[in-house]
Amino acid sequence: MVIGEVMLEGIFGNVIVEKVLFTLYVYGEGYPLGMAKTFKEPVNRLQQQLQRLENAGIIVSRLIGKVRVYTFNPRYPFLQELKALIAKAFEFLPEKEKDAYYKKRTRPRRAGKPI
Amino acid sequence: MKIDWQKIGIKELAALVSEKLRKGGVDSILVGGACVSIYTKNKYQSFDLDFVTHTTIKEVTPLLSELGFQRESSRHFVRHDCPFFIEFVAPPAAVGNEPLKGEKNIKTKLGTLVLMTPTDSVKDRLAAYYHWNDQQALEQALMVTESQKIDFHEIQRWSEQEGHSEKHRQFLERVRKVGHQSKRSTKKAK
Repeated sequence: MVIGEVMLEGIFGNVIVEKVLFTLYVYGEGYPLGMAKTFKEPVNRLQQQLQRLENAGIIVSRLIGKVRVYTFNPRYPFLQELKALIAKAFEFLPEKEKDAYYKKRTRPRRAGKPI
Repeated sequence: MKIDWQKIGIKELAALVSEKLRKGGVDSILVGGACVSIYTKNKYQSFDLDFVTHTTIKEVTPLLSELGFQRESSRHFVRHDCPFFIEFVAPPAAVGNEPLKGEKNIKTKLGTLVLMTPTDSVKDRLAAYYHWNDQQALEQALMVTESQKIDFHEIQRWSEQEGHSEKHRQFLERVRKVGHQSKRSTKKAK
């Protein structure tokens, strides 16, 4: 399923950035391959935009094992205002898009459990 | 003046870059760990010089090239025989939610360096401690308080504004301990 509604693309320049920001807003963190799978986009497109946001100081990353995990940069001076904008835009997101992308299981799941 | 790039100090290099940028019409300010190195006389040694400028990297590149620094990635510049690298971090120059409170100028024989004030440098390190619990950053903040005159009222006001009063209290405890220890060692030395 590909859902195409975009709201902040006009401000951020492309649809991937909007999806990255919604992901970090909802889940608190994200990694390129996970986001690429969720949005069915090539991983290098995600990496490109994540690097762009990191260069701008909006997000930061750290390595956990071999995975680079991204979060909002708590030291970004406009973070509060940016999050308010994202929160507002998220309210207007169609429910089907929220269901498809932003309601994934986040609670722990013990290793070894059958599917 | 002939420059020994392998042995150049961080303060001299920062001043050289700052001067070169200014002469090229680019305003910049040194921030981050390099300021800690300079304010503590290398008690903490940083190898990256983080500058903030509102000018584009494209305009900065030829100026740094005149100093032999080549662009290595989107924001980094290196010179093969120099241990330091230069980075341009995204503006604005800020600590947490607030812009920097002024700047400090240090004159060297290689030029005038513009950098964040000692109090802003402490806030900059504390921001990393507050947000990421980075103990190294706390140690660096303490080093600057030992070496420079700091406005502790301003740090308290800013910490409360950032919502980190508890961690600020822990920082002050450490400041008191460090002050106590250094007084004792001064007495011993006498």
